[in-house]
Amino acid sequence: MPKSQYVAPKEMFKAGKIKVADIPANQYKKTMREEFDAKNYTKEDLLGIYSDMVAIREFETMLQTIKLKGNYNDKEFTYPGPSHLAIGEEATAVGQAYLLDENDFIFGTHRSHHEVIAKGMSAIKKLSDEKLLDIMQTVQGGRLYELVKAHSTAKTTKQLAKDFFLYGLMAELFAKDNGFSRGLGGSMHAFFLPFGIFPNNAIVGGSAPVGTGVALYKKCNNKKGIIVANAGDGAAARGPVYESMNFANMDQFRELWEEGYKGGLPIIFNFNNNSYGMGGQTKGETMAYGELARLGAMAANGMHAERVNGWNPLALIECYKRKKAILEAGEGPVLLDVITYRLSGHSTSDVMTYRTQDEVNDWAQYDPMVVYPKELVSSGICTQEEVDAAAAEVIARNKAMFMLASDLELSPYTDFNKNPNHIAGIMFNNETVKTLGTEEPDVRMKKEDNPRVQQIKTRIRFGKDANGKLLPKTKVYNIRDGLFEAILDKFYEDSTLIAYGEDVRDWNGAFAVYRGLTEALPYHRLFNSPIAESAIVGTAVGYGMAGGRALVELMYCDFIGCAGDEIFNQMAKWQAMSAGYLKVPVTLRVSVGSKYGAQHSQDWTSLIAHIPGLKVVFPVTPYDAKGLMNTVLNGTDPVVFFESQRIYDMGELFHEGGVPEEQYSIPLGEPDIKKPGKDLTILTIGATLYRALDAAKILEEKYNISCEVIDARSIVPFNYEKVIESVKKTGKILLASDAVARGNILNDFAHHITSMAFDYLDAPPVIVAAENWITPAFEYDKEFFPQPEWFIDAVNEKLIPLPGYVSTKSYTNAEELRKAKVGL
Amino acid sequence: MATPVMMPKVGISVESCVITKWHKAVGDTVKAGDLLFTYETDKSTLDEAATVDGTLLDIFFNDGDDVPCMLNVAVIGNPGESTAEFKPATEEEEAAPAPAAPAAPAAVEAPVAAAPAAAAAPAEGFLKISPRARALAEKAGVDARYATATGAEGRICEADIRRLIEQGPAATKAAAGADLSLAGTGIGGKVSVNDLGAAPAAAASAPAAAVAEYEDVKMSGVRKAISKAMTTSLQSMAQLTHTISFDATNILNFRKQLKANGEALGMGNITLNDIIIYAVSRVLKDHKDLNANLIDGDTMRYFSHVHMGIAVDTPRGLLVPTLMNADQKSLSEISVEAKALAKEAQSGNINPEKLKGGSFTISNLGVFGIESFTPVINPPQTGILGVNGMQTRVREVNGELKAYQAMALSLTYDHRALDGAPASRFLKDLCTALENFTVFLAK
Repeated sequence: MPKSQYVAPKEMFKAGKIKVADIPANQYKKTMREEFDAKNYTKEDLLGIYSDMVAIREFETMLQTIKLKGNYNDKEFTYPGPSHLAIGEEATAVGQAYLLDENDFIFGTHRSHHEVIAKGMSAIKKLSDEKLLDIMQTVQGGRLYELVKAHSTAKTTKQLAKDFFLYGLMAELFAKDNGFSRGLGGSMHAFFLPFGIFPNNAIVGGSAPVGTGVALYKKCNNKKGIIVANAGDGAAARGPVYESMNFANMDQFRELWEEGYKGGLPIIFNFNNNSYGMGGQTKGETMAYGELARLGAMAANGMHAERVNGWNPLALIECYKRKKAILEAGEGPVLLDVITYRLSGHSTSDVMTYRTQDEVNDWAQYDPMVVYPKELVSSGICTQEEVDAAAAEVIARNKAMFMLASDLELSPYTDFNKNPNHIAGIMFNNETVKTLGTEEPDVRMKKEDNPRVQQIKTRIRFGKDANGKLLPKTKVYNIRDGLFEAILDKFYEDSTLIAYGEDVRDWNGAFAVYRGLTEALPYHRLFNSPIAESAIVGTAVGYGMAGGRALVELMYCDFIGCAGDEIFNQMAKWQAMSAGYLKVPVTLRVSVGSKYGAQHSQDWTSLIAHIPGLKVVFPVTPYDAKGLMNTVLNGTDPVVFFESQRIYDMGELFHEGGVPEEQYSIPLGEPDIKKPGKDLTILTIGATLYRALDAAKILEEKYNISCEVIDARSIVPFNYEKVIESVKKTGKILLASDAVARGNILNDFAHHITSMAFDYLDAPPVIVAAENWITPAFEYDKEFFPQPEWFIDAVNEKLIPLPGYVSTKSYTNAEELRKAKVGL
Repeated sequence: MATPVMMPKVGISVESCVITKWHKAVGDTVKAGDLLFTYETDKSTLDEAATVDGTLLDIFFNDGDDVPCMLNVAVIGNPGESTAEFKPATEEEEAAPAPAAPAAPAAVEAPVAAAPAAAAAPAEGFLKISPRARALAEKAGVDARYATATGAEGRICEADIRRLIEQGPAATKAAAGADLSLAGTGIGGKVSVNDLGAAPAAAASAPAAAVAEYEDVKMSGVRKAISKAMTTSLQSMAQLTHTISFDATNILNFRKQLKANGEALGMGNITLNDIIIYAVSRVLKDHKDLNANLIDGDTMRYFSHVHMGIAVDTPRGLLVPTLMNADQKSLSEISVEAKALAKEAQSGNINPEKLKGGSFTISNLGVFGIESFTPVINPPQTGILGVNGMQTRVREVNGELKAYQAMALSLTYDHRALDGAPASRFLKDLCTALENFTVFLAK
C-alpha cells in the first residue's frame, strides 16, 4: 500500500459497465503450403516437425507396450513407474517448443514426456555442435556421452545429441543411475537444464508457481528468455495456479517498479486443454469456465488470452511467435488455451469409463500423426518415401536407445550397497556461498545512512547492566534488530537476494523486522506479495532453482497450511529429486503467534521437521537470530526459519559482550547451553526457553535442583552430542516447546535421547508441551501453553518427587492414558 | 606374514584379563621383546611383550577392555597385510546364522528365545529401577533390592543407590514402601495419593511375601545397650586375649565330693563356675591392674574389693549382674548369690543397680563346648575372663600317656592398663589356684 497511489471513493462508487475484451479462438487459417510458399518454413523444418512428433509417439508407444505386454522391440522389460502418456498430444508439444531457444525454459506436468522430448529436439536444432559437445561431455562427467557414443550409429553431432538426450531421458524414467537425475526424478520429474527443460511436476498445477518464480528471477536479474509453465485444463481448478497468474501480472510491475524492471512477468501459462482432468470432464462437469481461455479475464490486461488449435503445430508456432514478442516487450504474462486430445488413457490403467469409443474415433480422424504427414505429401513438399524415412530413423533411434537404457550391465540400477550415500548425500548441500550474483547489489543508500541502522546504533547490545539487572526493552538491541542486521548485510552482499511476502514493504513486515529496508531497496528486491501463500513459497522455489536467493515470509506460521504443497512437495524435494543439480536457496520466515487464537498461534516446527529435505531453525535470542539468519542466508539449502512473536523485543541475556556488530555465523544444528547445571537437563525449542529458565530458578531456589537449560536453536539438523553429555551428567531430562504435545518433534528427540543415553537415565524423559486443543484466546494463554509451574509439575511427577509440592497439572501415566484414549 | 598376539592364559582358573595399557599404537614398529601391553588378572599385573618383529597392524581391544584368554588382541606384520582373519568374532557375529544356511530361521530363534529366559532368571518380583540406578548398583556391587525407592513413580533412582552405598540397607522394601506413603513425599502426585492411602499395607506386604529373605526389626533397648557397650568397648580399648588351660582334675574331684556329700550341708549345688568365681576373686587381689577401671584413658581406679560381674544369657540378651565383694564371701555364699543374680537377670526384672559397679567380669561359655574365644571387656573394666568347655587331654607321666580333663581360660585385658606379662602372670596364678583348689580353699 504505497502512499503514492490514491484510492478514490468516487471511482469506486461510479456506475457503468466493466468490459471484458473478446478472446480470440482458433483464428489461424493458413495451409502448410501457404506457409511453405511464404518461406516461413523450409522443407527440413516441416519434415523436422514430423520427426519430432514421431519421436514422441514412439517413445510413448514404447512405454505403453512395456506396461501392457512387458516387452518392446522384442526385449522383455519391466517398468513399474508412472506412465501418463501423451499419445495424441505430440503436435501440441512440438508446436510449443519450435521457437523456444536455450534461454527459454519450460516446466511440465505429470504428463510431459512429449514436452520434454520436443524441447530437447528443438534445443539440439538450435545449439551449435560445439555447444552440444560441451554439454554432453560435461553432464555427469561425460560418462553418458562416452557410453552413448560407443553404442551409437550417429553420423553427425546433432544425431549423437539426439541419441544422448533420448538415452538420458529413458534411463531417468527407468530409474537407472545414468538418468539425467540419476533416476531420482523419474517420469513425472524429468528435466534437462542445459536444453532449457526445467522439471516436470507431479502435482497438478505445481509448475505454475515454480515457473512464475523463474520468470521473477529473469525479471529481477535482467536475464533473457521466457518461461512456459505447462498445465492441463484440470489444473485450472487449482488455487496455486490462480495465485501464480495473479502474481505474474501484479499491477505493481507496471505501476511501481523502477524503470528497467517494469512490466508483467515473461511467462506463458500454457494450458494443454484435452478436455479431461484425469476422467473428469472439465467443460460440462467439473469446471465453471465454459471455455478455458475465458480465465484471462481475471486480469485487467486479459493476459493476452487465446484459444489455439494444438493439433496444428503450425497454428501453435504462429501463436507462440506473437506471444513471445508480447513477453519480450514486458507485457506478460500470457494465458493459452491449447486445444488437444489424449487418444490413450490417462495412464495405462485407464479403462476409459468416462468417454465413448465414438468420441475417441472422431478425434482420431484429426490425429496429427496421420493428418500432418499426409499434408506434407499432398501439398507436394515431401515424398512419401522421405516422410517414411524420417519416421524410420526416429523409430530406429528410439529402439537403439531403449536397448542401451534397458541393459542391466551398461545402464545399471544404482547399487546402494556400493553407494549407500546416493540419496543421503544430496538431501542438503551444506555449503556456504556468500553471494550467488555477479552484479553489484542494487541498493538505494549507503548502509550507514539507513535510519534503522542509525537507530540500532543507539541501542545497548546486551540486555543486562553490569549488576545483571534487566535493562528496559526500549533501550536494548532485540531479536528484530538481530534479524534485520543479518538480512541488511546480505542485501548489500548478494545482488540476487530478494525478499517479499505480505506487507513487507512500507508496512515493514507485520512485526517491524524489515523497518529500514524499504528505504534501502528498490521494488525488484523488496516488494509486497499478494496474500497468496502458495505463490509466495512456490515462486521463491522457482527463484532459487533459477539461481537466485530468496527470502520470503508467511506472516503467521499457521499460514504454512496455505502453502502446503509448495513447502512440502516443492521446496523440500527439488534438490534431491534433481540429484543435486538444482539448488533451492530459499529461506522461509514464519512467525509463531500467541494472541490471536487457534489459527494464528501455532508452532508448527514439528510439521516441517517431519518433511525430509527442509532445514528447520528457531532462534530465540538476538545473538542466535542474527548468527543463524546469517548462516541460513549464506547457505543454499531450503530452510524454514521460525520466529516467535512473544519475544521480538527480547534483549540478549546470554552472550557475553552482547551481539557483535560485525557478521558472524552460528552453525546449524548446534544446541546451546543457556544455563549450566548438574541435576536436571531442560531442552527447549522456541520461546519456551524463557519459561524454562523461570522454572529452573524455582527448582533451584526452592528445591535445590540445579538445572542445565539447553536451547535447541535448530531442529533439523540437530546434534545430540551436547544434550547426551548433559543427560549423562544429570540422568534426567525435560523437553519443552510451545507446539502441541501429540506428534511434537520433542517426542522424536526424547526417543533418540532414550536410545542414546538409556543406561544413564534416572527417569524417563518428560515432555512439557501445549495441550492437544485449539489455541484459545490470549486470556487463556496459561491454560494452553507451557508455564513455569508445568515444568515443576512434570519434574515432581516424572523426574524428582519434590517434598511438600502439590502439582497443579497432572503428568501421571493414568492421566496421559486417559487423554490419549479420548484423542487429546 | 602377519602374526596375531593373544591374550595369554596365565592361570588355570583365569578366564579373562583386563588390558590396562597399550604401550604401542597401531602403526608403530615393534621388535621382539618390546613391551606391547600391560594387563591384569584379579590378582596381579603383567606385561606382554612382542615375540616377532614388524608393525603393529591392528588392535582389537582397547585399554580397559576385559578380554577372554586365548583371544587375539592385536596383529603384528608388514604394512598393508590384512588383519581381518585374526579379528575375534564378536558375540553378535557368532550368534548370526550363516547367510545361506537353510536352517537359518531356527538358528536365529534359539538364541533369541534363550536370551530373555536367562535375563529373567532371578525368580522374584519386578524391580522398578532406573537404568542409571541399575548401572550404578552394578558398578558399586550393591544389591539394588535393598534400596529404598524415592524416585518419581516409586522408582529406585540414582540417589537411592548412593544412599544404599553410603548407609547400607535402611529397611525392608515393605517398610520402605509404607514409610514413603506415610511420609507423603508425593509419588504419583495428587491422583495416586488416594490410591496409596487406601491400601498401603496391602501394597507393602505383597513384595515382602514374595521375597521373605529377611526381616528387619528394630532393636530392643537391651540390644541397643549391648550394641553400644560392645562397640564402645572394641573401639575405645586396646584389647587382646590370652588363653591358657589347666588340669581340672582337682576341681572335678572336689565337685564330685560336694555332690556326694555336700547335700547335708546345703552345698550340693556348687558349680564349677562358682569355684572359678571364688578362685578369681582371690587371685585378683594380687593383680590389682585387672581389678580396676580405666577412667578417661588416663586414670586407673583400683578397687579394694572384687566386685565380680557375671555374664548371664537371658532372653533379652546378655546381662551382667554384679556379685559385690566376692572376695569377702565364702564359696557357699558365692554359689547362692550367683544363682540368685542369674535368676533375677533371666526373669527380666533385675534391679538395674545390680547391673552396675563391677570391677572384673567372668563369662562362661563352657556349657556350649566353646574351646576358646575372645570375650569383650565391659568398659571401663580392664579385664574379662572367658571360661571354656572341658576337654580330655593326654600327657606323659613317667613315660606313660595319661588322659586328664583340662579347661581353658581366655583372658581379654586392656593393654592400655597392663601389659602382657602381668596378664599372663594372673592367668598362671589362677591356674595354679584351680589345679590345687582344695589347698587354695584352705588358704
